[in-house]
Amino acid sequence: MSEAMPTLTRLERRQVDLHLTYDDGSEFTVSYDDVRHACPCAKCAPSRNDDESSKLLRRQVEALPPVKPTVRTVGNYALTFEWEDGGCSSGIYRFERLWALANRQDPDGGKPYVHGAW
Amino acid sequence: MAGPPVSTHTPSDGPAPEGPSADQQRQMEQAYAQMKRKMAMQSLGKRIKHKIMVLSGKGGVGKSTVSTGLALALAQQGHRVGILDIDITGPNVPKMMGLDGRRLHVEEGRIHPAQGHLGVKVISMAFLLDDDDTPVVWRGPIKLGAIQQFIGDVEWGDLDYLVIDFPPGTSDEPLTVAQSLPDIDGMVIVTTPQDVALLDSRKSIGFAESLKVPVLGVVENMSGYTLHGRAPAGTEVQIAGPGGRTHTATADDDGSFHVTLDLFKQGGGAATAEEFGIPFLGALPFDPGFVRGGDDGVHRIVSDPEGASSVAFGKVVAAVQAQIGQASSTGLEIV
Repeated sequence: MSEAMPTLTRLERRQVDLHLTYDDGSEFTVSYDDVRHACPCAKCAPSRNDDESSKLLRRQVEALPPVKPTVRTVGNYALTFEWEDGGCSSGIYRFERLWALANRQDPDGGKPYVHGAW
Repeated sequence: MAGPPVSTHTPSDGPAPEGPSADQQRQMEQAYAQMKRKMAMQSLGKRIKHKIMVLSGKGGVGKSTVSTGLALALAQQGHRVGILDIDITGPNVPKMMGLDGRRLHVEEGRIHPAQGHLGVKVISMAFLLDDDDTPVVWRGPIKLGAIQQFIGDVEWGDLDYLVIDFPPGTSDEPLTVAQSLPDIDGMVIVTTPQDVALLDSRKSIGFAESLKVPVLGVVENMSGYTLHGRAPAGTEVQIAGPGGRTHTATADDDGSFHVTLDLFKQGGGAATAEEFGIPFLGALPFDPGFVRGGDDGVHRIVSDPEGASSVAFGKVVAAVQAQIGQASSTGLEIV
């Protein structure tokens, strides 16, 4: 997947979603709810391991008010999202993860989260 | 009781209004310091034009020698250069830069780096240790905090180049730096020509790829040792080299000859670079002067700026600069 991934050139924070523009001209929108639900941190990621807790995480995320996050680059390989409303801001989102979200693919690649397996 | 109907109390009597406890106060201060540090790290991206990481998979290949050499060669060209020694447990850059036993100056919560040869600014864990024999026994999270302080709390000023020297391997330290420091130009991977070192440098190359930090190229250190000797003009001299190879040289008209012995192997760095499609930045000769210079605190480049080693360093620096010119950062626009 990463082989064919284009480079993210522009990220616009809109009212309820992100607008992503890639260097091959493709454009995507990803809702903040999807971004929050796909948080890769060690606290959120295990919640997506089974359907029930994943749905619960989804409901918790959707209950949060829509706020624009502060977006920061992490080195050259990832982004972080800081949510002022107290939602989880720990996750480091690799560009591959955002690309998967943009393409409506499973950002975890179908693999369950295992502590310390990174 | 003929007291006034309205109680008038000064803050000194009765229970004091609920303020933050000492614990909360400390937490707030920590959070504030953390926030300030994050902002400082972001602004560092603008004040330091180029950031170069120097890594190797294996220990003892001469990372610190190459880091200090790069820094000094860049400073010789008139650039403003800093060197950050991230090797928390075995810091030795200060010794090589003639700054042994120096202490750091702290003003208004900002750490001011020490200045070594040619005005190169140096930050190292060695400055914070009471004596050279004290080991630093820290687990990951504490190390991580120290590295973030070294990046965020140091008053580097405006720099053209920051060279970052790491401990060997692909663990916490380069990961933390790659996450904390924006717009890193790339990594220089130091290796020696033997297979074990090459195998480990391949890991470093994979590591750089996973962090999306460009690899500027591979430097082969301890590449060959040149023997100089004298013999009657025109005499053929045979020298038994390593690996059972016999080297032959003919003394020139002045009666001097030289033979370069490959102490390990030859051309391994170039082969690895070719295999991975990354640039080969050059080979540095095996030079006992580096050892003496390292121990005495006078780097070879400073003591012998015209020597073979300095010339070799000059070539490596030119290759690094050519690569930096081509490297691009993420260039992501966030609105």
